[in-house]
Amino acid sequence: MSRHKPTGMRTQVARHSILFIAAMCMIYPLLWMIMSSFKDDAVIFSDPTALPRTFDLSNYREGWTALRVSFTTFYANSFLISIFAVIGNLMACSLTAFAFARLEFRGRKIFFALMMATLMLPYHVTLVPQYVLFQKFGWVNTFYPLIVPKYLAVDAFFIFLMVQFFRGIPREIDEAAIMDGCGPWRIYWKIMLPLSTPVLATAAIFSFIWTYDDFLGPLIYLNDINLYTVPLALRAFVDGGGGQSLYGPLFAMSTLSLVPVFIVFLAFQKLIIRGVALGALKR
Amino acid sequence: MFLLPWLIGFFGLTLGPTLASLYLSFTDYDLLTSPRWSGLENYEYAFFHDRRLGNALSVTFTYVLWSVPLKLTVALLLAMVLDRSVRGVAFYRATFYLPSLLGASVAIAVLWRQIFGAQGLVNQMLFLLTGMKGPAWVAHPDYALTTLIVLAIWQFGSPMIIFLAGLRQVPQDLYEAASMDGASGWRQFRKITLPLLAPVIFFNLVFQTIEAFKAFTQAYIVSGGQGGPVDSTLFYSLYLYEEAFANFRMGYASALAWLLLVIIAIFTAIAFATSKYWVYYEDEGR
Repeated sequence: MSRHKPTGMRTQVARHSILFIAAMCMIYPLLWMIMSSFKDDAVIFSDPTALPRTFDLSNYREGWTALRVSFTTFYANSFLISIFAVIGNLMACSLTAFAFARLEFRGRKIFFALMMATLMLPYHVTLVPQYVLFQKFGWVNTFYPLIVPKYLAVDAFFIFLMVQFFRGIPREIDEAAIMDGCGPWRIYWKIMLPLSTPVLATAAIFSFIWTYDDFLGPLIYLNDINLYTVPLALRAFVDGGGGQSLYGPLFAMSTLSLVPVFIVFLAFQKLIIRGVALGALKR
Repeated sequence: MFLLPWLIGFFGLTLGPTLASLYLSFTDYDLLTSPRWSGLENYEYAFFHDRRLGNALSVTFTYVLWSVPLKLTVALLLAMVLDRSVRGVAFYRATFYLPSLLGASVAIAVLWRQIFGAQGLVNQMLFLLTGMKGPAWVAHPDYALTTLIVLAIWQFGSPMIIFLAGLRQVPQDLYEAASMDGASGWRQFRKITLPLLAPVIFFNLVFQTIEAFKAFTQAYIVSGGQGGPVDSTLFYSLYLYEEAFANFRMGYASALAWLLLVIIAIFTAIAFATSKYWVYYEDEGR
């Protein structure tokens, strides 16, 4: 494993101290949030280091129902949108990527270039016209604006990722399948997809995290509190319930909202880090 | 057939809206009445009269110019330390990366507001260590933007992982040869690490800058939705959002979107144009 010459004891210690201090700086804000979520408001803001005396869950109970609608609804909404978004992204992007990677058709190069160009397009440019369009459809205050676009493969980024992966699959495999009389649909479904589980998993993970965390989309399209996602609910918490007594519950709900992403991170750490290292993923 | 969903999405949700946005940028449009052609009025207002836009640009540029270089420096430094350590690399890598993954969420922005509040974690620590009482950082016009820059630096994990992957590609015998010739650590860094890492640095620089220009959620939450105090955190995206969805000036917001597109395009063009002087690709000229 060691690619470098063994170094002196002193440099080793120095390195590890740098790393340890940096790691503490990175993690302490999160620890503070978690610890505060179990504390009384009076204690949160007086002692930054104290461990909570007891694992008092009252902040969680209070926070869960602090808004007019309970967090049960917000989590249900968030998961509903995220799951449909993941399915949509996987289906639509893999189909598109398959077409770009394997099929011959007129204008393929131009379309591919256009697809790559949309990677660079800041979302601001399409924000207003998309809103106008969805408003005409009567889709404001529904989940459709947040879900339907994913079924139309608007996330060029996942397409790009999949095209790269599909190109790495040897063509001999599909040629053999064509000889056996397989059409493109069967090649896509029976050969490409089963061979592409790593890239599909990476796309699914990031698609889930980004949709779950998305704030601007729900902020624009969802005004009815019954439709709020978790991030919108947290915002409402800060705005509406900013009274002194609500810090504990606010920390509790913030902590809880990070749990799904944290679980995904623990479960798929390797895939996530490899995905980022490929340089193709942004966060 | 396979391309059908994408074609609909591309024409209906990307290209169509992009062109529509260009058209709207020359109109007055409040969503209720139909767009009214106003020629260059929006752009004239943006360039010559809009003080808040000038402020938003200055806030955004300050943010980009501070956060991106600092974030990349920290990322590169820690990637180099990690590259040399044997034990615990996986643990540290995961720890450093975690904030990048969580950082986009509203919860982290909410947390940041509390950390830099009047009695937040930062001031508690300051009091413990020095006995001084710090201000309410997020509520102070001089410091609010700084807290957001710190938040950006805190998320150095993903460029760090990309640097780390780049460092693993650097052949070790180069360093060994340099050591034999008596080159110091700093010289090795300047003459070996930096040039070989240039393509990765370039990628991170372009990517992080574009991301920084687009920042929205964190500024929205930390500033309480309005870019306050006194517009000191009025990011470009936040101003655009306000014009479009609070003031319903859709035409003007479209003009703002196109200005941002042009700014990002100019930046990217400059980066690519200058890259041939400092980015060295290994397979070039062979």
